Amino acid sequence: MQEKELICKIKELRNIKPSQNWVAFNKTKVLGVKPKANWVSVLEFFPGLIYKHSKLAFASLIIFGFVAGAFGFAQGALPGDPIYALKRVSEKTRLAFVSERDLPNVQLEFVNKRLEELNTIAQTKQVKKIAPAIQEFQASISRAAKDLANAQNLDVAKTVSETKKIAEKKHKIESLGIVIGDTPDLDSALLLLIQREIKDLQVSSLTDEQKTIFADAVADFEAGNYSDSLEKILMLSNPQ
Amino acid sequence: MVGQLSYLMLMANQRAEFAKIYDKYIAKIYRFVVLKVSSIEVAQDLCSESFLKGWEVFKQEKIDNPQAFLYRIARNLIIDHYREKGRTQIVSIDGLPIVDANSRIEEKAALNSDLEQIKLKLADLNDDYQNVIIWHYLDDLSISEVANLLDRSEEATRVLLHRALEALRKDVNSL
Repeated sequence: MQEKELICKIKELRNIKPSQNWVAFNKTKVLGVKPKANWVSVLEFFPGLIYKHSKLAFASLIIFGFVAGAFGFAQGALPGDPIYALKRVSEKTRLAFVSERDLPNVQLEFVNKRLEELNTIAQTKQVKKIAPAIQEFQASISRAAKDLANAQNLDVAKTVSETKKIAEKKHKIESLGIVIGDTPDLDSALLLLIQREIKDLQVSSLTDEQKTIFADAVADFEAGNYSDSLEKILMLSNPQ
Repeated sequence: MVGQLSYLMLMANQRAEFAKIYDKYIAKIYRFVVLKVSSIEVAQDLCSESFLKGWEVFKQEKIDNPQAFLYRIARNLIIDHYREKGRTQIVSIDGLPIVDANSRIEEKAALNSDLEQIKLKLADLNDDYQNVIIWHYLDDLSISEVANLLDRSEEATRVLLHRALEALRKDVNSL
């Protein structure tokens, strides 16, 4: 074999590749990063969804397009708007596909959306929509608090992030003169969550540095600074 | 409070950055390891460990050349692997093989018999010969980049590459 031919053969060894499943699994192991869904492979599980009759298919497509368009348009709706109900329907549909683990944090995302709506209403001075918007906000807080109280294996980092955003947005809206009120349900749920986390950490082996952070977390908790306490608990769960 | 949140954000950014490095180099490091060890399972373990070690260092300090860094980790892990197994003959650049000459690679389905022979003969070469061939012809690294990895001059690397190809060609032609 001549050198040129050998080099060509060597280059064919580029066919040695890891399997995509192993690459994805390994990425999770190294980084704890979830692989992106392969939507092509998901769709391949539905081979039988092809209509035999083209007219029926075309009509279905038109209706589907209209409904999708309506839902899309509803995303900008505010409480008090006629199509706001569609927005809530799409959010409830999303909840149906969320795991129990992620449910509380998705509910917290919705609380943040209610606050964004309130902010828009306040900025544009749509006075008639303030009352329904506050009602929607209070209802979303109750739902989030209920799911948070029952949470198992929660993604605490996400919870901290969402509750911080809620606190910031609430403060911003109240600075515009709109009184939203306190959130005792959410505070109670956070209190229960932190109590559970503290109980778990009390039986864990901690380094000296971690013990200091844990003591600070307990002090924050006793002072009612639940957000700060949760952040410190998160640091203990994700050590450097 | 703000400092703690910044720390959380920093962790998230670091993770995202290293995820890009992982996506970019996983196939190359995997192939590098597969061509040097005796089983796919061992190759997967060593490759995984390379990235785990890389991630630990990445969290502590800036890495200027992630590719070179990951190759170095992988090389060291392979050397340690054979030391532990007690099957390393000599770890040297003086023409002695680092891999057990009787090892067999399990993933033969992807390659025809010609390529399988080249792969086996490549594994019989010494470490530096293997590396220079893999890095230049399979991973498309320039002579300059390979020289940097080997800690040699460009001229010395060109000579090494020529000798490596010649050694491989002799082994393949002797079949």
